[in-house]
Amino acid sequence: MIHCDGLCLQLTHRPVLADVTWHIEAGSVWGIIGPPASGKSVLAKTLCGLFTPRQGRLIVDGVDLPGLPEPDRVRVRRKMGMLFQNNALFDFLRVLENVAFPLARQNPKMPQDELVARAQERLRAVGLSGSEEKWPSELSGGMKKRVGIARATICNAPVLIYDEPTAGLDPVTTSKIYDLLTGLRQKHASTVIAISSDIPALRHFVDHILFLHQGRIRYCGPESGLEACEDPVVYQFVRGQTEGPL
Amino acid sequence: MISNFFASVGAFVLGMVEAFFQALSIAGRTFRGVFHPKGRARGEVLHQMYQIGNRSLLFVTVTLGALGMVLVFQVCLQINKITGDQSQVGPEFIRGMVHAFVPILTAMMLATRVGAGIAAEIGSMTVTEQVDALRMTGVDPVDYLIVPRFLASMIMTLVLGIYATVIVVLAGALMAHTAFDVNYNVFFVFEKITWGDLGVGLTKLVVHGGAIPIVSGYCGLSTTGGSEGVGTATTRAVINSSLTVIILDFVISAIGLMTVQSGT
Amino acid sequence: MAGNFFAAVGASVLNLCAEVGGILTLLFRVLICLLPPRFDLDETWRNLHKMGVRSVPIIVLTAFFTGGIMVIQAAVFVKKFGATSLVGWGAGYAVFREIGPMLLGLMFSGRVGSNNTAELGTMVVTEQIDGLRALSIDPVRYLIVPRVLSMIVMLFLLTILGDVVAIVGAALFGTVLADVSLASFWVSFSQNVHVADVTHGLIKAAVFGFIVALTSCHFGITVKGGAVGVGRAVNNAVVAAALGIVLSDYLLTYALP
Repeated sequence: MIHCDGLCLQLTHRPVLADVTWHIEAGSVWGIIGPPASGKSVLAKTLCGLFTPRQGRLIVDGVDLPGLPEPDRVRVRRKMGMLFQNNALFDFLRVLENVAFPLARQNPKMPQDELVARAQERLRAVGLSGSEEKWPSELSGGMKKRVGIARATICNAPVLIYDEPTAGLDPVTTSKIYDLLTGLRQKHASTVIAISSDIPALRHFVDHILFLHQGRIRYCGPESGLEACEDPVVYQFVRGQTEGPL
Repeated sequence: MISNFFASVGAFVLGMVEAFFQALSIAGRTFRGVFHPKGRARGEVLHQMYQIGNRSLLFVTVTLGALGMVLVFQVCLQINKITGDQSQVGPEFIRGMVHAFVPILTAMMLATRVGAGIAAEIGSMTVTEQVDALRMTGVDPVDYLIVPRFLASMIMTLVLGIYATVIVVLAGALMAHTAFDVNYNVFFVFEKITWGDLGVGLTKLVVHGGAIPIVSGYCGLSTTGGSEGVGTATTRAVINSSLTVIILDFVISAIGLMTVQSGT
Repeated sequence: MAGNFFAAVGASVLNLCAEVGGILTLLFRVLICLLPPRFDLDETWRNLHKMGVRSVPIIVLTAFFTGGIMVIQAAVFVKKFGATSLVGWGAGYAVFREIGPMLLGLMFSGRVGSNNTAELGTMVVTEQIDGLRALSIDPVRYLIVPRVLSMIVMLFLLTILGDVVAIVGAALFGTVLADVSLASFWVSFSQNVHVADVTHGLIKAAVFGFIVALTSCHFGITVKGGAVGVGRAVNNAVVAAALGIVLSDYLLTYALP
């Protein structure tokens, strides 16, 4: 479904991704983990075409994404839904309008009541019925994340990317969010990529793990094989040890 | 020391040239966006017009009223020393206001107020990834964010400029009357204004009005780095818009001088 | 509906009073630190450099084109009355007394003032100001007073530089656009422009520096609300400084000879 080959990316003259080669099959569930500032969010945004790699190939559903000019990348992005690290809710729109926004953009001819009905259904699915008229600034952290998830999933995109879906949330809310994500995934059999620093909760959710450190892949494989990995960085990180290369 | 001075000015100019070309590409996309509205939010232009116009009204009134009085005071003071004939002050003042001072002063005031506002708004959206989210849903940020502000600013700068001219002339007349006993009839003489003057003044207002959102929007979209980044972007927007306004004003004045205004 | 209107106006007025009050309070605290003068010299030196040296390019550019604009306006008169001998005088008079201090003050406010507000605002948002207080360092003495002094000194010096560049620009554009020879420009300038005109402008510059300093520091220190708050504070600071500059220009024009 998504294939990267030797991706290299620089931001303001600093290398952020180096030689990333990764193949994501349709329907698989991946987790991206690693120390802070390893390039996890940057990789996720590169897969959406929000960043353009300097080198390497990126094929998304048969299309060479970096080769497309910006206006044409929209065709590919329609197949993806993204939850941003800071939610990125539009602070000039209410919750309902935020959730309906991607759907309205993709289907300019869809009648207003259908848009509203779909958005309300999404909000119900994430447990936020009744919050339609609120402004994003009036929501708590957990609520914002859930609105972000509703917005990311409203178009039933085949690829879903969640950047830190449970960052800063208490354990109870974290479980609820992962239950929600699992339910969504089962309903639509989508390909899912989740970035998280909460390793134990993430590992219950995903089948495969990608470990990034300083822009390079240290481990790429099934979730169950993580303990057996001999790379010193991965070894130290997975066990939470203070001594080692990190 | 001298070479350092020239080096720093030179480096600054080169930096501006690079930014200029990037801003030019945004300008190009903005113009295209005006003629191909692709499902822009309804009423966004009107909303922006309200933001720019209503909220700058008091500011423009106070600043241009005060400036009008100051300028008339200075001019009358000098005339008193030289010829004592105040009868020419009114018509020349009004003429100078229309094609020269009101456009640039209004634009400078708006560059600070509106430019900072636009950069702060768009900059915060960039930093909180809202602009990325827009791109994800297929929206061109230039089209969605900058074009409405571009249209609104051109219209409102024109309107505010006309309003400011009225204020400045009234304030100047008041000053001339109270401090130098110039009769209102003598002051309010409009025959000296030519179509060329009007054309130059209106062109300046429209051009400045269009330039400010493009430059500040560009600064907002290229923000990086959190709250500090938003502050930096706002700063750059104010400086760059002001400088752009000054340079554009100079260019239009020069063109006006050589074409429409010679020998009047 | 009318009630809403009055409520909105009332709220704006109260808001305005709060800001003005805040600025006056800050002024008071700054003055206390100046008599007797006890403030951080290293910070002052650092600010002088940051605000002065890095503003030079923009001031030079602004002044150069301002001189040009002045000449273009004068050129219309020159063509009508043939008054080439007045261009030097006119440019000098206008630049030194009004346009120089005013436009340079506005550019300074845009460059240094907004930068200052953004810096202080970010320090508030990242809780560095609280950190200073926790170390029992008075933020006014350590941060604000050096900036105020630096801005007054720097705008004063930069206006001198700017005046010179503007006159040079005016002279150059005079030859190119208005057929005024450099010689006649210089003669007209030196015979009719007095030291009093220059000092009139420089006193204004110092006052404008003070105004930009106070407004930018006040809005920087009182930031609320993260990245959006910093942007809003810079916006307000720049507007307040512009208002302050224009109003004080008005008052000073009367008060000074």
